[in-house]
Amino acid sequence: MSEMGNRGRRNFVRGAAAALIGGTVLAAARSRSPKLVWQIDPEKCTRCGRCATHCVLAPSAVKCFHSYSICGYCDLCGGYLRPDAKGRNTGAENQLCPTAAITRTYIEAPYYQYKIDEDLCIGCGICVEGCDVFGNGSMYLQVKHDLCVNCNQCAISNACPSDAFKRVPASDGYLLKSDQEKRISS
Amino acid sequence: MKNVGKNWVWFVVIMAVILGLGIYLGQSRRNELGKSFDYSLDEYRKVDPALIKYRELEPILPTLGKLSALALSADDRIFVGGENGIEVFPGGEKVPMVGTPSCLRVAEDGTVFAGMQNHVAVFSKDWKKTVWDAPAENAYLTSIDVDDWYVYVADAGSRRIWRYKKEGGEPFEIGEKDWANGVRGFNIPSPLFDLAINRFDGSFWAVNPGYHAFENFRPDGMPLSTWEASSMGIEGFSGCCNPSHFALLADGGFVTAEKGLPRVKIHNADGSFRCVVAAPDQFDDDAEGLDVAVGSDGKIVVLDSSRNQVRIFEEIK
Repeated sequence: MSEMGNRGRRNFVRGAAAALIGGTVLAAARSRSPKLVWQIDPEKCTRCGRCATHCVLAPSAVKCFHSYSICGYCDLCGGYLRPDAKGRNTGAENQLCPTAAITRTYIEAPYYQYKIDEDLCIGCGICVEGCDVFGNGSMYLQVKHDLCVNCNQCAISNACPSDAFKRVPASDGYLLKSDQEKRISS
Repeated sequence: MKNVGKNWVWFVVIMAVILGLGIYLGQSRRNELGKSFDYSLDEYRKVDPALIKYRELEPILPTLGKLSALALSADDRIFVGGENGIEVFPGGEKVPMVGTPSCLRVAEDGTVFAGMQNHVAVFSKDWKKTVWDAPAENAYLTSIDVDDWYVYVADAGSRRIWRYKKEGGEPFEIGEKDWANGVRGFNIPSPLFDLAINRFDGSFWAVNPGYHAFENFRPDGMPLSTWEASSMGIEGFSGCCNPSHFALLADGGFVTAEKGLPRVKIHNADGSFRCVVAAPDQFDDDAEGLDVAVGSDGKIVVLDSSRNQVRIFEEIK
C-alpha cells in the first residue's frame, strides 16, 4: 500500500513538473512571438456586408476608414449619395449610408469633406461599394483594434467569401491604403 | 428502471430546447442586412434598345498587355498603347518602350505622341524618340491632342493643360483659376482628364469631370463655352469623375465614355443626348478607362482594357 502511495506521489510530482516546465517554455515562446490581430486586406475585400452581421460584437468592430489623401472631395460622392439621389445635399433621402454614419462638410467650391462617425458605422461597406464604383476607393473597411476582442477564430473571417481577413502583427495592425496614412499612423 | 427512462426523455427534451434556442439566437445575430443595405446599379444598366444606334464589329486582340491608350492616325490605323510598348493595326507592328503610355495621339504627318506620366515621348515616323518634360512636379499626363500649330497635353496631376509648340520647348499653362475671365479651374478627382481639338476653329474641348462638364477654350486658355449634364440617367454623366474619355465627331458631336456605369454614348454639339453606342451590359462590371476614338468613316473605336481588346462599333444605317 505504501509502495503504491509512493508511486502515486512520484507520478504526481513528475506530472506537475512536466506541466510547469511545459508552461514556462510555452510562455517564453509566446512572449517572443509577436502578438497577432485580425485585419482586412482592402485589396481583397468585396464589400459583401458580412462584417456587419458576423462579428461577435454588435455593432461590429469593423468600421469604414476614409483615406483623405485618396479622396477627391467630390460634390457628387458615390460613397455618400445614393445612386438615385434627388439632390446633392445632406437630406436623409439622398444619403447612401443607412445609419447616416457619414457627415458631409462644405470646404470650398466645389469640394466637400466626408467624415465617418464610428459610433454609427456598422461596417456594412455600402459606402465602400459606392466609392469604389464611382470614386477613387478612398473608403474601405478595417478592423478597429480598440473595439475588436481578437477572437482566436474570428467569426467574420470564417464567413468572409474573399479571404480578405488575415492575421497581422499587432505592432502594424492596420492595412492602410495610402503611404501618407501609414506615415501618420506609425 | 421506469424513472431512468423518464430522466432520459427529460434530458433529451431539455437538450433539444437548448440546442434550438442556441440555433435561433445564433441565426438572429447573423441575419442578412436589410434592403436598405443593398447597393445595386441594375436599374441604370438597363438601356432602351431603341436608343442603341451602333452595332459591334469583330474586335481587335492586341498582344500587348495592360492596354492603356488608344489613337487613330489620319489614315485610320489604330495605335494601341500598353505594357512597355505601342502596337499598330492592321499589321500588328510592335514598338517596344520603357513604361506604359497613359495616352497617345498621332499627328497628320505620322508623328506619335505618347504621354508617359510626367513626360511626353515624341516618336518620329521612323520611331526616333525625343522627350518633352511636363513642368509640374506631380504631373500625370492623361490626354494629348495635336493640330497644325500646337500640342495640347492634359495633366491630371497638376490640373492643368500644357500647350506645347509643335517643336516642343517650354509649354504654355492653361487652367489656373481666373474668376475674372470665367476660368473656374479643373476639378479632377481621379486621373481621368481628357481633351480634344475642334478641327473647325482650332479651339479645344476639355472635360471638367468634377462638374460633369465639357469646356471649350481658345488656344490661349480663354473660355468660350461650356455644357454639363449630371445624371445617373442615360442623358447625363454619373459618379465623381465622368466622362472619363471622349472624342469629337465630324459634326461636332461628342462620343463619351464613362466609368462606374461603363457606357459609350453620343451627345450633340449642344450637349443634348443623341444615342447610345454601347450599353453597360456590353462591358464587364469592372470596365474603366474606356478610351475612345472616331475613324474617318465614322466608326467608333473603344479601348476595353478589362478585356484587353480594341472594340469597334459601326452605326446601324
